[in-house]
Amino acid sequence: MRLSDIMSQMGLTVWPEAALVIFAGVFVLIVRRVLSRDRAAEMASAARLPLEDGTACEKETGR
Amino acid sequence: MTAIAARHTSTASAAPMERFVYDDSIVRKFLTATMVWGVVAFLAGLIIALELVAPRAAAWEVNGVRPFAWLAVIFETSWLNFGRLRPLHTNAAIFAFAGNGIFAAVYYSTQRLCKARMWSDTLGRLHFWGWQLIIVCAALTLPLGITSGKEYAELEWPIDLMIAVVWLGFFGVNFFQTLRHRRERHMYVALWFYIATIATVTVLHVGNSLAIPAGLFKSYSVYAGVQDAFMQWWYGHNAVAFFLTTPFLGLMYYFMPKAAERPVYSYRLSIIHFWSLVFIYIWAGPHHLHYTALPAWASSLGMLFSLMLWMPSWGGMINGLLTLRGAWNKVTTDPVLKFFVVGVTFYGMSTFEGPMLSIKSVNALSHYTDWTIAHVHGGALGWNGLLTFGMMYWLLPRIFQTKLYSTRLATTHFWLATVGILLYVIPIYVAGLTQGLMWRAFDQSGNLQYPDFVETVNALIPMYWVRVIGGTLYVGGSLLAAFNYFKTWQSRPAKYEEVVHEAPALSRTYVDPPPPPSRLSGVVGIGHKGDVWLQGAWHRVWERLPVKFTVWVVIAVLVASAFEIIPTFLIRSNVPSIASVKPYTPLELAGREIYIAEGCYTCHSQMIRPIWAETKRYGEYSKPGEFVYDHPFQWGSRRIGPDLAREGGKQSHDWHVRHMENPRQLVAQSIMPGYAHLLREKLDFEAIQRRVGVMAMLGVPYGEAVKPGRAAELARAQAAKIATELVTQGGYPDMADKKIIALVAYLQRLGTDLSKPDDWNPYEGFDGKKAADATASGATGGAGGN
Ligand code: HEC
Repeated sequence: MRLSDIMSQMGLTVWPEAALVIFAGVFVLIVRRVLSRDRAAEMASAARLPLEDGTACEKETGR
Repeated sequence: MTAIAARHTSTASAAPMERFVYDDSIVRKFLTATMVWGVVAFLAGLIIALELVAPRAAAWEVNGVRPFAWLAVIFETSWLNFGRLRPLHTNAAIFAFAGNGIFAAVYYSTQRLCKARMWSDTLGRLHFWGWQLIIVCAALTLPLGITSGKEYAELEWPIDLMIAVVWLGFFGVNFFQTLRHRRERHMYVALWFYIATIATVTVLHVGNSLAIPAGLFKSYSVYAGVQDAFMQWWYGHNAVAFFLTTPFLGLMYYFMPKAAERPVYSYRLSIIHFWSLVFIYIWAGPHHLHYTALPAWASSLGMLFSLMLWMPSWGGMINGLLTLRGAWNKVTTDPVLKFFVVGVTFYGMSTFEGPMLSIKSVNALSHYTDWTIAHVHGGALGWNGLLTFGMMYWLLPRIFQTKLYSTRLATTHFWLATVGILLYVIPIYVAGLTQGLMWRAFDQSGNLQYPDFVETVNALIPMYWVRVIGGTLYVGGSLLAAFNYFKTWQSRPAKYEEVVHEAPALSRTYVDPPPPPSRLSGVVGIGHKGDVWLQGAWHRVWERLPVKFTVWVVIAVLVASAFEIIPTFLIRSNVPSIASVKPYTPLELAGREIYIAEGCYTCHSQMIRPIWAETKRYGEYSKPGEFVYDHPFQWGSRRIGPDLAREGGKQSHDWHVRHMENPRQLVAQSIMPGYAHLLREKLDFEAIQRRVGVMAMLGVPYGEAVKPGRAAELARAQAAKIATELVTQGGYPDMADKKIIALVAYLQRLGTDLSKPDDWNPYEGFDGKKAADATASGATGGAGGN
């Protein structure tokens, strides 16, 4: 008997569906957390990060 | 000259200030490489677009003269023809142009977002030169026909190893060490996208490229048939996600706010965008294989997940576009924003269309047609191309510390590129639909309306010409960019100014804000813990810890992949074996190698779907069990020529030889390249032994053919037999030792096993008694190889 025979007997096809549910669950939790209101200030300051790197450039336009 | 740009972080103002300088020389290197390889990749694309119209142009005659006869050089020269150059084009576009563009973006933005110089200048340089070396190796090997034959992963194993070292060892280490030494606690979302890119591409590259070498330039995929196809599209699909999407989203979330001078419209949306890609995209790979011999549940799952992708992708597009709120007037004057706006719009179009193409009924029509080609070029030229060029025009004045040479030229480039894309994409959509509909058209008596495949090719030629024009515009635009780039570079200062920045180091004793209290009353301890967990403060912790974060992303990717892959690999019923399917003879194996080396799979599929129009045209549909010895699989993804899965026995040897020599001798309107060199070049019989040995190692039951010298002996005997038959059919003499004989042997075998008795002998007719022993000692049974 080979490994694949054993695996065939195990009814593995439900696993992807179970994993799908788990994935969707964790995802929903993250979405909930991200959207929660008490993080507004944190989000706003994070969003400004790219604009605060102190790179100055006065001569950026050409002809 | 030295300037100081000081700033303070709110979290750790007590820590002492540190001074640092960003390394922009590495950004300059990568950006220059992006420009150079971009032109190369687009030119290669233009050449292969020409390949498909050139045969007809060359045959065009006015008053007995053929003004374009010279064009024949591109489809009759072995290393210039479509099958060889198409992999070069795709690899150059993805790994050389987009790849270097990604690196430029990552090196520029990571330093600034982390408030830290890249961890190691040396690793940066090793990364740069290593990557360019890989590209040069690719550019040398692919036209020579050195290829693994797996789409978008054609490079042979020594180059694959180099990729792994440069990607993870140089780039990955340098990037993660920079994250660890950052001076900004929160990792901005662009960095998350980069993390996912680096981690996932490593997993994909290693997983798909597992192969056993059979010489320096030849290896065989450890997977066969259905499994190989599954791995290939798991890789191919996720490479689109994690090489052409996530890094470019990181780029968008960084450079778009920079160019618009306002923060991203919704930071929350960008986080959701990120996690939805990590959680969902990886599941959607099997939609590339609808109606093929892949199990139905896998492709249905792929379809479901593909449809779920639609929402976050559009969320991302809208997020990008709304970042320009209040700045739309700037779009009219600033070419950078023009590139970004149209690039992001193409992202929206591609991500709408992708899930649509994954719907089985749409896919039944679109698959194998030019529709796919139009789809990927909307993505590659529109989303990746325009975003890269937008970033480039924004970076040029900054990294070369001068003015952009010409804004006007940049604007012209924008228009050339946009019109070029439209002229490419629209006719190719039409071509895809036209051909798809022609393939399935029946007349009133229930017969195929266009039984002759070449008729369906013929209808596309006008569209192919418009594509050549569109491609020319796009190439023209990129040449303007190269000129603009060069002139800007010329006006750089004699010595670059090095701005010194200041920021405090992150304190090592940082503690997160306490988790929220449980909102429950009167339940046991675990209930409170559960409620605290449900409120999700752990996500904040993830957000600032690169290692933890990476580990979770990798786990998500691996788990999703495992659940897709393991069942296909291990469940027997997924690949029912067929007793009459036997391994290729040594000569056929050598022929198959020529098929792979010439890139025939870029034009021919070997997969008949269970659709009436297909079984009517090509014969019995393909079964998973027919491919158990196919290392690698050769199902293909585009039918520029007809499917070859049941080619065996359809034509005489003589027909094949003359057709390969010059297809237009037999099919006047054919656009297939000529392969006259295969009639001249000698087959290396001695090399076959090693390959049979590797196949046997992979579980293909070759029996006594693995004995030293035996494979070559069998191959010579079969070649002599075919060469004799060829002469009796009125064909060319003296072909027995030429490559063409092996190819013909392979083509004549294709798809024929299914109709043979279970105990047939592949060596019958050229090896008498001895071959019967070979069969008895192992070449029976069809269940091996998985
Ligand atoms: C540029 C795309 C292209 C490439 C590359 C290409 N072909 Fe073709 N092939 C075609 C087209 C188009 C046809 C249909 C017209 C014809 O019969 O010539 C065709 C037809 C064929 C046929 C005839 C099928 C039949 O029975 O009517 C065979 C066999 C074939 N190709 C084999 C090959 C092999 C082997 C290679 C690689 C060495 C190859 N082709 C590479 C485009 C291509």
